[in-house]
Amino acid sequence: MAILSDYHYYAPSTLGEVLDLLSSYKSPAVLSGGSDLIVNLKSGRVEHDAIIDIKQLQKSELALLKKLECKGETLFIGSLVTFSEIINSKIVQKRAPLLVEMAKTVASVGVRNRASMVGNICSAVPCMDSAPVLLVYDALVHTKSIDDERTLAIQKFFISPRKTLLRKKDLVMGISLALPKGKLGSRFVKLMRYRGEDLAQANLAILALSANHEYRVAFGSLSGTPLRATAIEKVLRGEATLTEELLTKVKNILPTLISPITDIRASKEYRLHMAKVMLERGLLDAALRREGSGSHLGENLI
Amino acid sequence: MKKTKTKTKTKTKTTTTTKEVANKCSVQFLLNDQKVSIEAPSNITLLDLLRNQLGVKSPKCGCDVGDCGACTVILDGESIRSCLVLAPEVHGRKVVTLEGIMKKSEGEMSELQRYFLNKNSFQCGFCAPGIIVAATDLLEKNPHPTREEIVEGLSGNLCRCTGYTPIIDAVIDYIKQKS
Amino acid sequence: MEFSFIGKPAVRLDGKEKVTAAARYVDDLDFGANLLYAAVVESPHAYATIKSIDTSKAEKAPGVVKVITGKDFPYKFGMYMQDRYIFAQEKVRFVGEQVAAVIACDAISAERAAKLVKVNYDVLKPVLKVEEALTIEGCNHSTSEPILIHPELKNYEHVPWFFPRPESNIAHIRKIRTGDMDKGWAEADHIFTDTYTVPRYAHCAIEVHAAVGLYDFSGRLTLWTASQSPHTQRHLFAEALAPLGVAHKDVRVITPFVGGGFGGKAGVSMEILAAALATTVRGNPVKVLWNRAQEFYNTYQRQGVLAQIKVGVKNDGTIIALEQNLYWDAGAYVEYGANVVNAAGLSASGPYRIPNLKIDSYCVYTNLPPGGPYRGFGYSEFLFGLESHFAEIAKKLKIDQIEFRRKNCIIEGDRLAYGGKMNPNGLQEAIERVASEIKWGEEEKTTTKAHAKNIRTGKGISLFWKAPAMPPNASSSAFIKFNEDGSINILVSAMEIGQGFLTVMAQIAAEILSIPIEKIRVETPDTDRNPYEWQTVASHITWGTGSAVLKAAEDMREQIFCLIERALGKERKDLYLKAEGVRSHSDETFHLLYKDFVISGIPMEDGTFRGGPILGRGSFMPEYTSAKSNPETGQGGKPNVHYTVGAAGIVIEVDTDTGKVTIPKVVMAVDAGRVLNPDLVKGQITGGVLQGLATALYEDMRFDDKGRLLNPSFTDYKIPTTLDIPQEIVPVMLEVPGHDGPFGARGIGEHTMIPIAPMLANAIEDALGIRIKSLPLTAEKIALHFQLHSHKLIANDNHSSL
Repeated sequence: MAILSDYHYYAPSTLGEVLDLLSSYKSPAVLSGGSDLIVNLKSGRVEHDAIIDIKQLQKSELALLKKLECKGETLFIGSLVTFSEIINSKIVQKRAPLLVEMAKTVASVGVRNRASMVGNICSAVPCMDSAPVLLVYDALVHTKSIDDERTLAIQKFFISPRKTLLRKKDLVMGISLALPKGKLGSRFVKLMRYRGEDLAQANLAILALSANHEYRVAFGSLSGTPLRATAIEKVLRGEATLTEELLTKVKNILPTLISPITDIRASKEYRLHMAKVMLERGLLDAALRREGSGSHLGENLI
Repeated sequence: MKKTKTKTKTKTKTTTTTKEVANKCSVQFLLNDQKVSIEAPSNITLLDLLRNQLGVKSPKCGCDVGDCGACTVILDGESIRSCLVLAPEVHGRKVVTLEGIMKKSEGEMSELQRYFLNKNSFQCGFCAPGIIVAATDLLEKNPHPTREEIVEGLSGNLCRCTGYTPIIDAVIDYIKQKS
Repeated sequence: MEFSFIGKPAVRLDGKEKVTAAARYVDDLDFGANLLYAAVVESPHAYATIKSIDTSKAEKAPGVVKVITGKDFPYKFGMYMQDRYIFAQEKVRFVGEQVAAVIACDAISAERAAKLVKVNYDVLKPVLKVEEALTIEGCNHSTSEPILIHPELKNYEHVPWFFPRPESNIAHIRKIRTGDMDKGWAEADHIFTDTYTVPRYAHCAIEVHAAVGLYDFSGRLTLWTASQSPHTQRHLFAEALAPLGVAHKDVRVITPFVGGGFGGKAGVSMEILAAALATTVRGNPVKVLWNRAQEFYNTYQRQGVLAQIKVGVKNDGTIIALEQNLYWDAGAYVEYGANVVNAAGLSASGPYRIPNLKIDSYCVYTNLPPGGPYRGFGYSEFLFGLESHFAEIAKKLKIDQIEFRRKNCIIEGDRLAYGGKMNPNGLQEAIERVASEIKWGEEEKTTTKAHAKNIRTGKGISLFWKAPAMPPNASSSAFIKFNEDGSINILVSAMEIGQGFLTVMAQIAAEILSIPIEKIRVETPDTDRNPYEWQTVASHITWGTGSAVLKAAEDMREQIFCLIERALGKERKDLYLKAEGVRSHSDETFHLLYKDFVISGIPMEDGTFRGGPILGRGSFMPEYTSAKSNPETGQGGKPNVHYTVGAAGIVIEVDTDTGKVTIPKVVMAVDAGRVLNPDLVKGQITGGVLQGLATALYEDMRFDDKGRLLNPSFTDYKIPTTLDIPQEIVPVMLEVPGHDGPFGARGIGEHTMIPIAPMLANAIEDALGIRIKSLPLTAEKIALHFQLHSHKLIANDNHSSL
């Protein structure tokens, strides 16, 4: 499967040049991990007049894009940070294990060693795994262009499948996550056809905060864009224990929030059914984890 | 019959001063500890570059979209899918294939390879180079993985013949002998 | 019998080549700078008439050497039935069928130019299901006459044991009639009927199909192919291209290592393109390399089947009658697939003693890709319905599953469906061993700690059998030659497709000639140099090619004894082979090493020599089989050489909410006749079980209403990873030797995946009380079935409380 289209290939050494190129070409593409881009080029789904590899930047600028650091309560993930780097980061393991739990479900080692989380949200396919996690952290996406710098709330970032707020001229610099204070439990749950590598038929991220017994819940792959289940969060807010009654209530709200489809990977009915199972098991486990028990990181929940 | 080169579209260059490597690009990199300098089209992958331009045949093409792992090589110390890397991307970088792993080992093959050999780990053998490279990388990062870690680490490499058990067992035996 | 090499594990002969990547597969071979590349123009329609093809733009595209269409090759080919053209002629019959090809200097130019070929079609309504292709009682939704896919069927050449129905979509019916059905139904205390369906599957060898053809100016046509069938390919290439003056002796097929076959690389599929295209660019090799998507939609696929089963049983569980209609979705061309239908029809009783039988196995044309051989050759497909159905019957009669099978399983000497007697076998022992290994009848504790309240355990079993499906005159041959140092080279034309046959052939020769395996080489074939082999299919290589190697080794032994008798005056019956040489029973001091005479001869006192290079020759054909039989009853011939039998059992845990199945244990007992290499048998068990589990749990090919394959990739056709293996697979190897085959050995390669689907379905039923009658048994299907089932139970409970 050869790439049949032609493009200009650039590996600029300064960010300025990257931004110049992005603004001067009609349909440029930024190349970081390439796992989506190269597949799409091969299939002919996309054609670009320029491919801009951002991994050959001069040291200081490269460091900016590869930054993975926690300052105070803010975790910054640069746009070149790979899923493997997230998994292996001591800081992330300690401060935001939810990211690690999610990242470990993305493809396989050989892909995770190249693919970046920013690339994942830029592709914006409905089954992306990063989005629900970023949603529960109220993440911000930082972009730069030749004309401006922007900070976009993740809640508004996704417009429709494969479509985001990004303009052609934008380069994503990174994402920042506001880490909640206090005791915290979290859970990522992903529905796959088997235990091996698979794209999500449904995914779910949960944060169980100790303050006010607040829960944050976000789903992916169950509607055109990933969504924060605020209606469910409202019901759970302030509830010290997840009673069966409460769980039934939120499971009943669920169908009004999501719009699962039938496709090659799963039927609408199973997606809906499993979303409920995932929600119930995920909430219970996140609550247990908040109290220091619950399942091990990455343990199979469904 | 004479072979004609494919004509590439000519495009007007932008005014930017950036190093442009258009349809043909020059790639210099370290392949199995040897310097390589080659002209390559910018729209071919590292897998194509290795197999068809450089004659390095251990990485195999099983799916060409990153699903099967048969093309696994090590790029700057990380195992990756060479079908998902553009050839010009490796400019200035280090690539190690199974050939490189063997070159580095004392004798004709690495200790790990010997375990795969003695355990009859492979049947048709097509997935073997990718799996050996992936396992080598796994053990490099984590010399004493648990069974779960081995299984997880090799889960991106598809094998249709063996049912995986003799592959996993060889890695476990190798670790046991080392410790 | 004491063996030195037989029955012992050994490091594979090809092990070093494979772990060091020295092993070369077709796409690894270098052909020099004048290699050309072909890209195929494919039909986007499942059924259409080709109105016109405009190649003018493509011909002018950069790098293009030639554009070829059906007009250039109006030739048919086919293995058992010649129903296929090299390129589509006036009609296309499946999505992806080759309509034209572009030959160019490089792959990208070829692909680009292929997109410039304009084909004008008249789109016809496709036939996508067997229910649409013919009238099936209880299945047809429309009353209109089925559309004919092959109106020319009556003119197609085919083997004499096929019975096509012209003016229909039935390419072949295999009928079996034994006993008296009316009597059977009358004697039965209960009659159970049901319908089971199995979808299409893909082989998914990790190596895709690849072929390179070279037609040189001397008229020699050489093909390098990723194939299980070099000689069959040579024959079919020579047949198809005979109008161009190509003869068998001029065709040479070279097959380097093959990266997995599973039946998918048997016969001829895309390789015909390389052969044909090469003749258009004399002197230049042409490569045709499938991509993964083409590998899915334009090679053979495992056929789907709709099975209607009716069984009559006595109160005590004795099976008295079986009627089975198997409707096979054989696809657009059945040149190979029709024989799957035939083989399955012959054996559709399963390994059971059933006095009254009526089997109709229909080979049905549809506008889906051609069906063909796949590990199991139809047996996995019909066994899913049969063993599921038997489990249901046993349950309804409240007879223990094991007991039901003990009572009805076929034993040595029982009459087979087509006549003849069942061979000696270890089926009864297999049943007992499986029952004891999975602790049949004992409650299983769950191993999963999380959500234990949703976890149910279950056990399931299935018996299996399979005979090699071969023409009655399928044969094998072998040469063995000595080298100066007393080492040997074995020349055969079976293919090493992963099963380890090179090693087994070496073990057989080693045993006879007393030569260590390290001093034996067996290489992949080249039809010019290696002697004839029918094909590497049907799990017949260990048995058939092994027999030829055994004979060749014995032939060498004979020559050696003759020579020594002649040259040294030793009595031949006093001689035996030991430790790489010849010894004498009566003279312990006599030890003549091979290296001292097998090439150079034995020196005589007068300075002359006796002997010359020792060269062994062996050929094997089972002369006791015949495919001749009455078309209406299937009686009269002896189509199968023997059956390999066994039993399998599984322990599962199912999550009732998610439908996910985990597998603590699988037991596979197979009667190999003689286990020539336990490590390799174990390899076939471990691999076959996992392939079987995958086809049972999540694999399947899905087509849309236009006949397009929806999942031609590993992204959506999931094959198992390291994370998807059972916790334990227990291999049980039984040995009830056959009357022929090397040391009594029979094949076991396909068999290990045959019982998996019904075994799993039976375990799911055991765990949840739900019977799923269609494959695959996905988590989704299990969960939704179970939800429905438990709601029904609740509804029933409510009802009864009222």
